[in-house]
Amino acid sequence: MPLVVHRRIMLRLAAGAAVMPLIGSGLAVGPAAADQDPAAQLIQQTAARVIELIKTKTGEAREAGIKQVLESDFDLDYMGRSALGVHWNQATPQQRERFLKAAASAEAHAYAERFGRYGGQTLTVGRVTKRANGISIVDSKLNQSDGEPISIQWEVRNAGQGPRIVDVKIEGVSMVMTRRSDFNSYIQNHGGKVEALIDELEARAKR
Amino acid sequence: MGEGSSKGKAARVRRSTLAAVAAMAFVAGCATRDTGSAEVWDPLEVPNRFIFSINQAVDTIAIRPVAVLYRDWMPKPAQRGVHHMVENLGEPVTAINDAVQGNAHQAATSMARFLVNSTLGVAGLFDVATSFGLKKSDNDAGQTIGYYAGVEPENGGFYLVLPLIGPSNARDAVGLVADAAIDPFGLAIYNLGSSTAYWIYAGTRYSVTVLDTRVRTMTALDDLQRNSLDYYAALRSAYTQRRAEQIRQKKEKTDTRAELERRDNLALVR
Repeated sequence: MPLVVHRRIMLRLAAGAAVMPLIGSGLAVGPAAADQDPAAQLIQQTAARVIELIKTKTGEAREAGIKQVLESDFDLDYMGRSALGVHWNQATPQQRERFLKAAASAEAHAYAERFGRYGGQTLTVGRVTKRANGISIVDSKLNQSDGEPISIQWEVRNAGQGPRIVDVKIEGVSMVMTRRSDFNSYIQNHGGKVEALIDELEARAKR
Repeated sequence: MGEGSSKGKAARVRRSTLAAVAAMAFVAGCATRDTGSAEVWDPLEVPNRFIFSINQAVDTIAIRPVAVLYRDWMPKPAQRGVHHMVENLGEPVTAINDAVQGNAHQAATSMARFLVNSTLGVAGLFDVATSFGLKKSDNDAGQTIGYYAGVEPENGGFYLVLPLIGPSNARDAVGLVADAAIDPFGLAIYNLGSSTAYWIYAGTRYSVTVLDTRVRTMTALDDLQRNSLDYYAALRSAYTQRRAEQIRQKKEKTDTRAELERRDNLALVR
């Protein structure tokens, strides 16, 4: 019995897969289902903005532009908070504020560098998965001119001010998770104090 | 006479490796500390950091500069050829791991890739198989152990930094040994030739693989190093996540529905 059900699902999926390209070519515009989702729209819009910036601006103007994109499309406070993990609760309000500012600047710098390496690749946005915790995961592929496409997953959360990106997973490696391990280890190796981490981040931001 | 003793040795090596694999799989499976997606279990952090710093030094003064020269001066088609050759030599071991994981279709595909690329692809220099629709799979014994160990794939036992190889863990280190033990080329050279011939083969293959891999990971590793405060911890996390993702993909593959959904998803992509 389950086998039959399974087969039916398979057939339906296979039929759907067969029809999709037809719809795509028939409509010419080819709006995939993903286009209607606000999370997928955000990713497409962010990618378009970044590509435009990289094509038209260089140096400091580019970094400033990317910082603007980050501030509007990424939830930097949420990212910073998750990156600090358990240490967030131990931090004083002043420390939290200083940390978020320094972490945002570190993030802006990192993404400016990452986006700056852009060399004409295209980003195809795929399926959107809604998770129970309110986060939508947008699958995408960065198609390279040589070699296999790179899988990038964007985690998008809507906390009331519209959808914002809260994490980027490249080939399964979460940027926020990696940062959390990094920060956590740094704090542990500096007497368990958040202060040491904030000082280091601030010093790096000035450099 | 010499042949007999070398065969005995090879058999012994194989037997002890099998025992080690079984033991380690058991240990990994039993590890009560399920690290999940939290911090990586690293009880050997002090010696690991020590080896890590040596690896870093070797990388900075020797491996990375050579990789940069290779990347910038070696013609791209030649680099691609070398990459394909390295991959092609790994295809039989990939096929064995595909088969052990119960993925007969992918095992056959990997084997077909090997046969096509070794012949039409001129000893693996060209990846003709991909254009025939034979898709490459990345598989190794570390993933096989992770596939059967009943724990979250983030839990690969204790974290390890191997000299000259880099980030690993109990699961993947055992996997490396197992893959080397079942490598048909290695076995053939060891049994037909001499142990010297084997070490020449292993050394050459290892060096070329290191060079190829170093070029391919350069951007990602540079990014990680520049944007982290504690590179050791950041790399430990990234490595663990990457391996977990690979194993998770293998686990999902056995679920027909997940596989179909993935294909459906691909159809949606324009």
